Amino acid sequence: MSQTHLSPIAARPPLSLAAGEKLAHSLPDSIPEDSATATKGSEDDARAQKTGRFPWLELDITRTEWDILIGSTCLKLLLFPAYRSTDFEVHRNWLAITHSLPISKWYYDTTSEWTLDYPPFFAYFEKLLSIPAYFVDPRIVDLNNLNYDAWSVVAYQRTTVILTELVLGAAVLRFVRGAENPAMQRIISASLFLHPGFLIVDHIHFQYNGFMFGILMWSLLMARNDRKLLSGFLFAVLLNFKHIYLYLAPAYFIYLLRSYCLSPTYTLLPGRFLSLANAVILTFLASLGPFLLMGQLPQLLSRLFPFTRGLNHAYWAPNFWALVTALDRILLKVVSRGQLDGLSINESGVASTSRGLVGDTVFAVLPTVQPIHTLAITVAFQVIYMGKLWTNTSYKSFVTALTLCGFTSYMFGWHVHEKAILLVLVPLSLLAAEDNAYFRTFEIASIAGIYSLFPLLFTPAETLIKIVYSVLWALFVLRPIHRQVYQFPRTVTFVVIDFLERIYIMGFPLLQVFVTLFPLLARGPAAAGGSEHADREETRASPLEFLPLMLTSVYCAVGLVWAFIRLSVIYLARKD
Amino acid sequence: MHQENLKAWIVPSLVLASIWVKWAVGLGSYSGQGTPPMYGDYEAQRHWMELTIHLPTRRWYTYDLQYWGLDYPPLTAYVSWLCGIVGSWIDSSWFALDKSRGIESPGSKVFMRGTVLFFDTLVYVPALVMFVRVWQGTRSSRTQNLALVLLLLQPALILIDSGHFQYNSVMLGFTLLAMNFFATGQDLLGAICFTLSLGFKQMALYYAPAIGTYLLAKCVYLGPREGSKLFIRLGIVTVTSFLILFLPFLPPFAPLSAVLDPITRIFPFNRGLFEDKVANFWCATNVVLKWKLWAAQGALIKLSTALTAFGFLPAVMTLLYSGYKLRIEPVTQEAKTTPQPPKQTPILPLLPYALLTSSLSFFLFSFQVHEKTILVPLLPMTLLLSGSSPGELTFELGMLMNNVAVFSMWPLLKRDGLGVQYIALLVLWNRLLGYNPFRTTKRSLIQLASLAVYTACFAFHLAELLISPPARLPDIFPVLNVLISTPVFALVWLWSIKRGIEVSWALGGLGSRSKATQKPASGSIVAKPSVEVSADGEAHNSSESVLPRASGMRTVSLGFAQGRRRKMSSRSGSVDIRS
Repeated sequence: MSQTHLSPIAARPPLSLAAGEKLAHSLPDSIPEDSATATKGSEDDARAQKTGRFPWLELDITRTEWDILIGSTCLKLLLFPAYRSTDFEVHRNWLAITHSLPISKWYYDTTSEWTLDYPPFFAYFEKLLSIPAYFVDPRIVDLNNLNYDAWSVVAYQRTTVILTELVLGAAVLRFVRGAENPAMQRIISASLFLHPGFLIVDHIHFQYNGFMFGILMWSLLMARNDRKLLSGFLFAVLLNFKHIYLYLAPAYFIYLLRSYCLSPTYTLLPGRFLSLANAVILTFLASLGPFLLMGQLPQLLSRLFPFTRGLNHAYWAPNFWALVTALDRILLKVVSRGQLDGLSINESGVASTSRGLVGDTVFAVLPTVQPIHTLAITVAFQVIYMGKLWTNTSYKSFVTALTLCGFTSYMFGWHVHEKAILLVLVPLSLLAAEDNAYFRTFEIASIAGIYSLFPLLFTPAETLIKIVYSVLWALFVLRPIHRQVYQFPRTVTFVVIDFLERIYIMGFPLLQVFVTLFPLLARGPAAAGGSEHADREETRASPLEFLPLMLTSVYCAVGLVWAFIRLSVIYLARKD
Repeated sequence: MHQENLKAWIVPSLVLASIWVKWAVGLGSYSGQGTPPMYGDYEAQRHWMELTIHLPTRRWYTYDLQYWGLDYPPLTAYVSWLCGIVGSWIDSSWFALDKSRGIESPGSKVFMRGTVLFFDTLVYVPALVMFVRVWQGTRSSRTQNLALVLLLLQPALILIDSGHFQYNSVMLGFTLLAMNFFATGQDLLGAICFTLSLGFKQMALYYAPAIGTYLLAKCVYLGPREGSKLFIRLGIVTVTSFLILFLPFLPPFAPLSAVLDPITRIFPFNRGLFEDKVANFWCATNVVLKWKLWAAQGALIKLSTALTAFGFLPAVMTLLYSGYKLRIEPVTQEAKTTPQPPKQTPILPLLPYALLTSSLSFFLFSFQVHEKTILVPLLPMTLLLSGSSPGELTFELGMLMNNVAVFSMWPLLKRDGLGVQYIALLVLWNRLLGYNPFRTTKRSLIQLASLAVYTACFAFHLAELLISPPARLPDIFPVLNVLISTPVFALVWLWSIKRGIEVSWALGGLGSRSKATQKPASGSIVAKPSVEVSADGEAHNSSESVLPRASGMRTVSLGFAQGRRRKMSSRSGSVDIRS
């Protein structure tokens, strides 16, 4: 459709500001007539004309953007009484720890089983939140008041999630300003702020991902605007909030080293290198310093990196290992029927099967995987992408490499949690409107990735919430971008691939129907209804009980592995 | 490329979004949650499901009346029975007779919320979509969709049905369907729908004077021959529908006296004038007059009946008068060219105003009114609102009444623990419609009045938050709430009467109208001159008879004849999300 459309990802050169503005208006109105994204025609003008009584008070926010912010906040308010996972109590306990204990005891306290296992910045953040919490309700920060779930604490903690998510809102808003293709970037920014992943994981399940991804987005924005020192600093800050972002660190390291610390002729620029190094070191000192002085670093690190977990999480995160595990289960069935003689069965693996998805996974037929294997595979893949990033340090290349870094870790990591898919989906969103190839990757990864988050909310009341919200999000994000970038596949191979991908996406409704109906149909007539999955630890000797979960995992894994391959090929094969 | 495709998705996705909001509100608590021994409306509805599936029909209206005895008409009972059957199939413990009283398991809550959403989506949502298409067919599809958003997300109904827990949307939906069928000329279908509405919840009686008079006026309008034919048909259809609804309580299925059980349950004449604090005439004037000390129960009931009748009399009169004035003369000549009378009646534009007048007069003056009943008059007002554009009197009044209606239910919602939902839905809805009474620069009288009301509401909430009521006046806040809300409802009632008369006058002022309507334009579609009423009440025939759509008249009713000329600015479309 539009062969010469602008890249939405790159920053708009300052000189062509006026031209860009005009272009934004001449672009076809690609936003559907939705209440949330309906208006945009004259708002750039409105922004320009806005002169109130207090100009210094006025933020650079248009009417539609206010609409989205207010509207989405109202919807999030409605989710206050929704289901919350144990993460809610985890964070309440951290409020209590940081409020009632001296800093020297934070990483030693074991009053609750939910000990503090995030880096110090997050602990400081909780300390900050605990101060108003005390005035809202002193019982929130009472260390021994375990599993406190009064309305005050629910409302307070949910409110902090909504408020801290504004960091993300501000970052994606800044992305629109100065984007080369503001119309597309606006959709992408809105899609990030309204992402079903955040709704499910933050506003229902309960975490602070919106806040921390907000910092990541700020860092990426600074990279886009060519303020790399600040970008690196923000990333260092982010690492000290939550160490899962280490998955993305290689891309940052290579990118900053190559494009900031080295000149194009590979000579080290000492001034830049030192300032970056100082920024990072000072950040880490601010975070870890107190614990370093108290000699608690080993204890802190042991809390952050507990190497005592299994390959798969309780529910298989839909990655490469989910497929391998599924293959193992199938092979076990085949072998135990005696159709394949060459393979031996590992007895503990058989037991692992019957225990469903809980605990450590031991393969029955295939060779068992050790943490070192997963690490080796992850590093091997990342080295390939880093090589490409080394030769091409454009911003777009950086974002792609960053996404792939996260993707690789997600695909092959040890004990990956399904929530980690956000590490892939968020940076990938920034590439969504590049062209059809990127968009299709984004589409598949988003649909499969968001669907893979559904099992987090297993309560029946939230089923409709998560499905309807995701469907609406997909409708209003994917369709306009699709319209903008769609190209008919050029060769027969691509036609076939395109067709198969469509079939795959069509399969999700069927999968959902199966997952919904299975517990109703499979239960015995006398079985108690209600919360079938409420107690996952307990298995009632029904071998099929976890079938919906397994199927979800495997089906999503197919899509995510395919998206991973797609993105890798696109990144490595293209010259730009 | 996919433009058309995308357009086709808009209405389904709007409906889907409204379903999401309704369900999200349903995540919250419901009336009487965790308050044994009687619980609340939720338990009442659940209890009816329980008793209808376990007891023979004969005992439905007599079983243990002290514990939430069934006091809604039979259609509610049948629906409860259906829900009970399905629910028992999923989990029999939810509706075990007597044993399940006060059950509050998450599963049963999801099921109960699901039934509300299901019937809402089955009856009310299609009725709204049809309303927008039928009554606002001349407007652009974008404006129609905006009107649909406004109607779908009306906060008062969502808060009561999905939050507090009731099935009002079914009753309202059937009445709305009746309106739609009247607009398409299918009066018999309309009559059946209204009977179903009455058969679901007796509150639909608030509409009965308007609906009944409308049909009567239509018979008058059609002239002696066609009119009496229609009258007899309507009579037969209505009586038959009622008989079918009450069939299990009638011979040969039950002795004739059995039908008295539901009747006495449905109309509780033995209760007081008012119970809770309701924003109506009695409760508001009670602050000074203390009615219960002044007069006996019987006299008060008579007085309230008289006042109610007086309240809806203007609506009845305007309808009948217009029907008579515009009646079709018996056809003597040109019999071949006009074989069929036109399907729409010119008095149709009066219907929403008549419904509003009638239901508000019941709300304000009749006895035993609940605060939730404001939903009944709110429906016609919201319909009128959906056809207006910002700045118009209808728009300002409609928004004011909607917001104040939600405010008037605040004591109830607070009791139910729906404070967050109250704020969220009000903010969301007003923001979506771009309504901000504190922002307008040039203020008309109504906007100033709205501003005063909203300021009072905010002051009320602030005071309630900061001050605890003095021991001498424990009910000070509910009473204040009533005193803020009642004048608004009274104002809307007066306005609806005024508008009814204006529209009626405009219709009648066209002189030789009856002949004009008889001229067939092409086929069976009849072109009608559309009417505009200017500010001084002067009626204009704007000679738009080229308009091939007969829905022109309806558009007049829903917003375009606003007592002032339509502004011909570029933004006069309608409720515009932007502004």
